[in-house]
Amino acid sequence: MSHNHGDTIPLHPSSAQSDMDEIESLIHAAPSSATVLPARPPSPPRASIPVSSSPAPAPVPAKPPLPAASIPISVPVSPVPPVSGSVSVPIGADGFGPPPNTLTEPVWDTVKRDLARIVSNLKLVVFPNPYREDPGKALRDWDLWGPFFFIVFLGLTLSWSASVKKSEVFAVAFAVLAAGAIILTLNVLLLGGHIIFFQSLSLLGYCLFPLDVGALVCMLKDNVILKIVVVTITLAWSSWAAYPFMSAAVNPRRKALALYPVFLMYISVGFLIIAID
Amino acid sequence: MDQQPQGVSENYANPKTCFFHVLFKAAALAFYILSALFVNNFVIIFVITVLLAALDFWVVKNVSGRILVGLRWWNEINDEGESVWKFECLDGESLARMNKKDSWLFWWTLYLTAAAWIILGIFSLIRLQADYLLVIGVCLSLSIANIVGFTKCNKDAKKNIQDWTRNALLSGTVRSHLQSAFGV
Repeated sequence: MSHNHGDTIPLHPSSAQSDMDEIESLIHAAPSSATVLPARPPSPPRASIPVSSSPAPAPVPAKPPLPAASIPISVPVSPVPPVSGSVSVPIGADGFGPPPNTLTEPVWDTVKRDLARIVSNLKLVVFPNPYREDPGKALRDWDLWGPFFFIVFLGLTLSWSASVKKSEVFAVAFAVLAAGAIILTLNVLLLGGHIIFFQSLSLLGYCLFPLDVGALVCMLKDNVILKIVVVTITLAWSSWAAYPFMSAAVNPRRKALALYPVFLMYISVGFLIIAID
Repeated sequence: MDQQPQGVSENYANPKTCFFHVLFKAAALAFYILSALFVNNFVIIFVITVLLAALDFWVVKNVSGRILVGLRWWNEINDEGESVWKFECLDGESLARMNKKDSWLFWWTLYLTAAAWIILGIFSLIRLQADYLLVIGVCLSLSIANIVGFTKCNKDAKKNIQDWTRNALLSGTVRSHLQSAFGV
């Protein structure tokens, strides 16, 4: 019987149905061990305690598509506190409704969720918005897809603008940006700052978006004065985007030490954009 | 691989997912190896290989991990600003029901791809091609990230199953002791 179920699990919503049906039939079949905790609905989660951090109530990211903070249908452990250090166990089931859960959602939903996350992260980092006062909260939901696309796009644009040595230009641009982001993050960490490695990588990548725009404009129009103006504006924009996050992460006396390399990297990328012909 | 079996499963339960799981890995490796023969432009090789590797990473992490082995992992940042790694697995019953062949394919292709990238990296190292090493570095780190993530999920899943069974037994033992103690 299990194989019949297994054979017919496609990638589409019906799979969610069959899993949930199985779970519900288990629940009804074995009421004494009604310990299968079903998924939470994708709205503010309740007491889910990630054991590895301090025992605070679950994070509630204020974004409609509830991102990967999803719903572990972990092993039934009703009277027993979670034992593994990293599995998040939902305590207090919300009842046995059939809410969708991300472990069995259709693929298209995952794609849409990730795309929405990229757009929202971009808006948070690069455009003015009320969350910038609290940088830690703003990029809570980091992802590396946006930065990946922006770095590759910048490399491609620079490579396209170059008339000779296109491959080297691309490789150098990619390596400098990627290594630069990593080194800048290490710099903040070594200065005793409180920043999360991937969050910082994500931030520095998203802050490249204005430079991407600048590089695109410079590729289309080859006037030196225009290039200088455009690059200066986009450089200032990138630095403004990166400033609150970086400065909030370190001790105020060391702010300059943390920020200076960031500006240096963006300025050198700016020069690269201007100098390419 | 596409037959729908009956009885004891000797076939894959999710052929489409298995196909996509293998597709992007094989495409990235094949493109990288064959491109040296046909394409003279490093930029194109880099972009397409890394793009295929990134697509494969996404597919494995979000789709085939869920469907083939019922595991999922991700990272969150909680209210205190700390980073928390979450590992999610289906409950014990569903885990036990996962198709063995699916999970065999899942794990073995994961390991083989990483090994293949390492071998290609050694070739590049010998030939002192720094830019190709860059490509391989990116692809390798994506593969290893998935391996580490899912291995941790798996360990947690196994530990959870053990603990659950132990607790179930424990509660059964306690209950029977109580019953015998009170002569019920």
